Amino acid sequence: MDIPKKVWDSLVEQQLEEGRAILDRVDYNTELGLAMAKGAQQVMKGVITSDQFYEKFKQAVEEEFGVTFQPVKESPKNPKSRAFGGKKWAMVIDLAKCVGCDTCTVSCKAENRTPPGVTYNVVIEDTVGTFPNVKNINLPRPCMQCDKPPCVQVCPVRASYKLENGIVAIDADRCIGCRYCQVACPYGSRYFDFGLSYEQEMTGYDAVQASEYGVAHGRRTPTKEPVGTVRKCTFCMHRLERGEEPACVETCIGDARYFGDLNDPNSIVSKLAASPRAFRLREELGTEPRVIYLK
Amino acid sequence: MHQIPVSYQRHSSQKHSSARQTNLKKIEKIWWASLLLVFILGMVSLVKGYLLEGMTSTNLSNVVPWGEWVAFYIYFIGMSAGSFLLSTLVYGFGMHQYERIGRSALLSAIVCMITAITFIFLDIGRPDHIFNSIIYWNVTSTMAWEIHFYILYIALLVVELYFSMRVDLVRLANSPTRFAKFYGFLTFGYRNISDEALQRDRKLLQILGIIGIPLAIFGVHGGTGSIFAVAKARPFLNTGLFPVIFILSALVSGTALSIAIYVAKNKVLKRPSDVTMVRSLGSLLVMFLSIELALEWYEFLIGWYGVKPEELATISTMAGSSWAWTFWLFQMGLAMFVPLILLFLPKTRKSITWIFVASILTIIGVVGVRFNMVVPMLIVPVMNGLPGGNYYPTVSEWITSFGLIAMCFLLYTIGEKLLPIDQYEVVRGEANDD
Ligand code: SF4
Ligand code: SF4
Repeated sequence: MDIPKKVWDSLVEQQLEEGRAILDRVDYNTELGLAMAKGAQQVMKGVITSDQFYEKFKQAVEEEFGVTFQPVKESPKNPKSRAFGGKKWAMVIDLAKCVGCDTCTVSCKAENRTPPGVTYNVVIEDTVGTFPNVKNINLPRPCMQCDKPPCVQVCPVRASYKLENGIVAIDADRCIGCRYCQVACPYGSRYFDFGLSYEQEMTGYDAVQASEYGVAHGRRTPTKEPVGTVRKCTFCMHRLERGEEPACVETCIGDARYFGDLNDPNSIVSKLAASPRAFRLREELGTEPRVIYLK
Repeated sequence: MHQIPVSYQRHSSQKHSSARQTNLKKIEKIWWASLLLVFILGMVSLVKGYLLEGMTSTNLSNVVPWGEWVAFYIYFIGMSAGSFLLSTLVYGFGMHQYERIGRSALLSAIVCMITAITFIFLDIGRPDHIFNSIIYWNVTSTMAWEIHFYILYIALLVVELYFSMRVDLVRLANSPTRFAKFYGFLTFGYRNISDEALQRDRKLLQILGIIGIPLAIFGVHGGTGSIFAVAKARPFLNTGLFPVIFILSALVSGTALSIAIYVAKNKVLKRPSDVTMVRSLGSLLVMFLSIELALEWYEFLIGWYGVKPEELATISTMAGSSWAWTFWLFQMGLAMFVPLILLFLPKTRKSITWIFVASILTIIGVVGVRFNMVVPMLIVPVMNGLPGGNYYPTVSEWITSFGLIAMCFLLYTIGEKLLPIDQYEVVRGEANDD
């Protein structure tokens, strides 16, 4: 039997409270609230611009709430100039807490919608020692966001560069895809996007791509960037800009990952970085990684 | 001081019998047809694989991001730098005993450079961004420097070839050949071939040759070696000796190429080769090979002695894995010990045929040398615990490569056909007066 769409909709609508009823419960003007909601819907549909929206409700909002009604300032378009107010991001991974469950790997893949073959975060697993003194060890490996990054040093076109917030970024629109950086990275953190897709397993995979470094690349097609360029972990910069932690930090089941500002001596990462358990990978190479491990 | 080094008596061709002529025509036809066939096949595979499927048509992966095309790129760069350095013996240092291969070495240097650049152009993921490599210059990137050096180097090669041929271009322009107009155009209006003008050409060639030496050694080839050597993530590459070995193996392949071209051409045209010159080139080859061997010995000794795990793993991948045949057969066999022995034994080192064979084997063997500079170090994972790699070129990669190699031969043949490259009739005695 084919149930008309109306039936489904009405089920939802029964659950929904009337907007007016909600607004009636507060002291402020109900009509204004409804009008603004309508306006917001119009902005979303593209009927009016957000500037027009602000203009339209400016006076009413001021009278009703006594505040100036103005758009939130957008951060500047050039990612390099986003200095994050002097913050320098760093990550601390407590290996004693890591259980090697690969949640970080999966959540990173979901967050950044990375294609097959591109894995910003991997967990390297190994067994060390001789019986009976054996131990399973796990080493989660994102990009180290090195302070002296060999990948940036070798990029012929300056498509890879260091941001002031500590993150090493790649400009996909500039990268020529020579893969020199991949050869030069001592941590194997860089991945070439061969243009593969999960579309077969996951409907709509190609419909949209994560906007890494705040640059939207839109639909995934075999000829458009970032296909044919090199990619890597971004410390989830798009999430940082919204005030959220990187996906791997947020989802870690053992709370083994910490994230924060190494410029702030009171931040938790600064304190952990000073711990005698702290070390960094392949320190002898002088790359100065910003990912710090706790033994 | 100098006399005009060349005396052109283009009469010997009339001496050929007509039977020989038709035979030659046939050989030439077969040559063109087979090259064109391979070239067209290569282009078809290029369109089908590279253009339509993108990089997935290769066996490259994120563990082994560089493969066959990079290997062939450095192979041809080496060949070009080597040929050019050989030509500087003639034009830079006035060693006129090698005069007869001067222009052909310059032409092969240009053609090999074009081939090399085509290979690396194919290898990049976004050919549409290629001009970024000229617009944005990262001064800390060896690769960025290389790209600019290559442009300079090709320009220098072309100018040098022009001035080395100018006298003949002018003569051809004034002769009643069918292409007189074409040659007239190629003289770019500069038709003065008085003694003073030619003297000036010589001086210029000398200056260009001398400028070209550091450009070819440090800029083009040592620089290409440095692209690899600066990668501290790969201990096997990260040695000061690596760029030097690069230069030596360039000299080896360039010398071998020049010998091979010279002898092969004479063999086909059934004219005798200049025995003294070929032998002397043969001893040059032996010298370069011996130095290369010594350097490689130290490279391996020190790498092995240092017991760095990645380094040992790379050496054992190279010499003891399923790829070991490329090392033992090509790098150590064809490109090292076989020519060394051939050029050392008194019997074979005097014979033009054996020297020729040694050169051909070297040219083939150096392919293995180049592969082993690129692939084994990538197969070894960069960090313990990361997946190890595996790489063997796909059929599509091979056919495309063969197509480009055929393109190299085609370009060279066209150059020989159109331009006064052949200097068979240069009389050594006259050239050798200073
Ligand atoms: S880990 Fe690798 S990719 Fe990341 S900044 Fe360091 S060198 Fe670059
Ligand atoms: S692949 Fe892109 S980011 Fe990496 S070195 Fe080449 S141009 Fe730079």
